[in-house]
Amino acid sequence: MNFTETLKLALAAIWSHKLRSFLTLLGMIIGVTAFMVVLSLLQGFNTYVDEKIAGIGSNSFTVRRFSFEDFKNTDTIAEAQRRNKELTFEELEFIKERAQLVDKIGALALPNSAELKRGAVVMQDITISGTEPIIGDIENIDIAEGRFFSEAENNNSQRVAFIGAEVAQKLFPGGSAVGEEFTMRGIPYRVIGVQAVKGTVFGQSQDLFVKLPIKTYGANFGGLRNSRGIYFEATAKSPKLFKDAVEEVRTLMRIKRKLEFGEKDNFGILTPDAIAGLRDSILGPVFIVIIAVPGIALLVGAIVIMNIMLVAVTERTKEIGIRKSLGARQADILKQFLYESATLSAIGGTIGLILAKLLGIIISALLIPTTIPWYAAVIAIGVSAIVGILAGLFPAWKAARLDPIEALRAD
Amino acid sequence: MYKFMENENGKPQTADTFMPVAGESLISMRNIWKTYQMGVEELHALRGVSFDVKKGEYVAIIGPSGSGKSTLMNLIGCLDSPSKGEYWINGHQVAEMTDDELAKIRNKEIGFVFQTFNLLARATALHNVELPLIYAGMRAGERHDKAQAALASVELGDRVMHKPNELSGGQRQRVAIARALVNHPSILLADEPTGALDTKTSMEIMALFEKLHAEGNTIIVVTHEHDIAERAHRVISIRDGEIEKDERTK
Ligand SMILES: Nc1ncnc2c1ncn2[C@@H]1O[C@H](COP(=O)(O)OP(=O)(O)OP(=O)(O)O)[C@@H](O)[C@H]1O
Ligand SMILES: [Mg+2]
Repeated sequence: MNFTETLKLALAAIWSHKLRSFLTLLGMIIGVTAFMVVLSLLQGFNTYVDEKIAGIGSNSFTVRRFSFEDFKNTDTIAEAQRRNKELTFEELEFIKERAQLVDKIGALALPNSAELKRGAVVMQDITISGTEPIIGDIENIDIAEGRFFSEAENNNSQRVAFIGAEVAQKLFPGGSAVGEEFTMRGIPYRVIGVQAVKGTVFGQSQDLFVKLPIKTYGANFGGLRNSRGIYFEATAKSPKLFKDAVEEVRTLMRIKRKLEFGEKDNFGILTPDAIAGLRDSILGPVFIVIIAVPGIALLVGAIVIMNIMLVAVTERTKEIGIRKSLGARQADILKQFLYESATLSAIGGTIGLILAKLLGIIISALLIPTTIPWYAAVIAIGVSAIVGILAGLFPAWKAARLDPIEALRAD
Repeated sequence: MYKFMENENGKPQTADTFMPVAGESLISMRNIWKTYQMGVEELHALRGVSFDVKKGEYVAIIGPSGSGKSTLMNLIGCLDSPSKGEYWINGHQVAEMTDDELAKIRNKEIGFVFQTFNLLARATALHNVELPLIYAGMRAGERHDKAQAALASVELGDRVMHKPNELSGGQRQRVAIARALVNHPSILLADEPTGALDTKTSMEIMALFEKLHAEGNTIIVVTHEHDIAERAHRVISIRDGEIEKDERTK
């Protein structure tokens, strides 16, 4: 018997017990759905941590006043407060002049929040930050309209702003924002560019921000100190040189700050690897637990399928006898039942996948953007079919081994 | 005919002492025993049965209930294997066959008609008749035509899409006969084919068997009705697992 023929037979058998098949598959469906949702959440969360919390892409690293280790406890925080001086533009110049492996490096200032006004429209609590023009290149900022700052605008502390999509839409409904003005703290700013929509994460819009040239920011918000302190963001000349570029910048910082050999860094360097490592160390144990849950659901699903296949073999002993009396070989019967359990299980996997996709859309809308990676979909259906084959193996083997005359006598 | 020597103590013969001459006999059974172990007791359903059936014969097997008729038929049909003895069908020695080889014999050499029809309830008449061809590995198109033709030959050409529960008892048995014949077996076996049918329908089925025999099919029918046995050309009587009489009647 060939593949399509056996498959048709399996589908017919499943279809003849629709309700039973569906109930049998619940465990499988829940398992696969949970598995997919967890996986897509994990994926979404990783992206979120990497890109949103750390604020850097996978190709850049930042030099900051404090490192992760400095936040270990109150003592280390106090010590870092004392030892770690604010970064300066002088240090940035020092690195720029000497670094061989760094492609681009620029300064950013920590964000504050402010109220935006345009006519009667007021927007509160908008994130305001300052960046050097080169940051537009380093962060690969996606421009929907207009452009990023120029060097001249930064050097002259011109009051120009690059704004988020939602700010543009709220302040300038119905028309283009570029060239228009709004005010912050009573001072007018001219919009020169709008960033492409980034969407929401954990229900928070990522499009509510204003970026100013870093000098404009310093001049109008009270200097680039403390809560507006600066940090650097850099890229390496090539991905291969990334680690070396990080080490080069670290060394240059140590030289500039005259640190002795063996003395601890009095600044922090944040790389995507370090962020991922931190994330994994915090979330790892949590994920192991939430991956175990769908795993158990899958196992239960497999046992239920095995059980129903044993029932099917018993119910259809007579059919097996008839088929054997007409020339079905052991392999034919084995295949018939294996296909049935694999098909049953794969249907469960597919339904689970569809459910996960729907849940994913809801989660993306309410929490963080999630995607089900294509390989996860293949794995889901593949794993469920394999689970089905394994669960069906014993029942199918029992069926195949039935003695024809004994099977024919059954009723 | 055979270089065959009967052992006094009923021990099975070895293959080299018993060699049917090719082309002569379709079925050769020599000293066939079937013993069921019932706890400590041994129940001999067949006690040293030997006979031959030639191509084109129409044989009836009769005997009282429990005499071993069905046991014998199941052995002939390779649904069961003997405890002792030798069995040749169409030149194949059955005793030493693996399960898969037996499946092939059941598929190619034997058409079995059962008292209770044994049709697949969920499948159409057509699909039921196609089953032996499916296991023979025939492609769908060819299979379809053959099954259709087989159903037409038992006058069910207009009932192919009916399921068994949409057919009368006689029609069901005709589907079963079509199924038994569709793969052109060497021999047609029927174990009380009319046992579940009324007299009129039984006569129709028996008429069909006569037609099939006239067309050259080899047939063995188990029955305990003498008027059915009379239609055969040879009657084998069984009692207590032994052949009591084996006579040519026509
Ligand atoms: N699986 C079995 N286990 C034990 N004994 C069996 C088994 N099958 C048949 N027998 C015994 O073998 C003997 C012959 O049975 P068989 O079915 O061949 O009789 P039969 O001639 O077909 O009878 P009937 O006319 O009633 O169908 C009976 O005594 C029966 O009890
Ligand atoms: Mg019987």
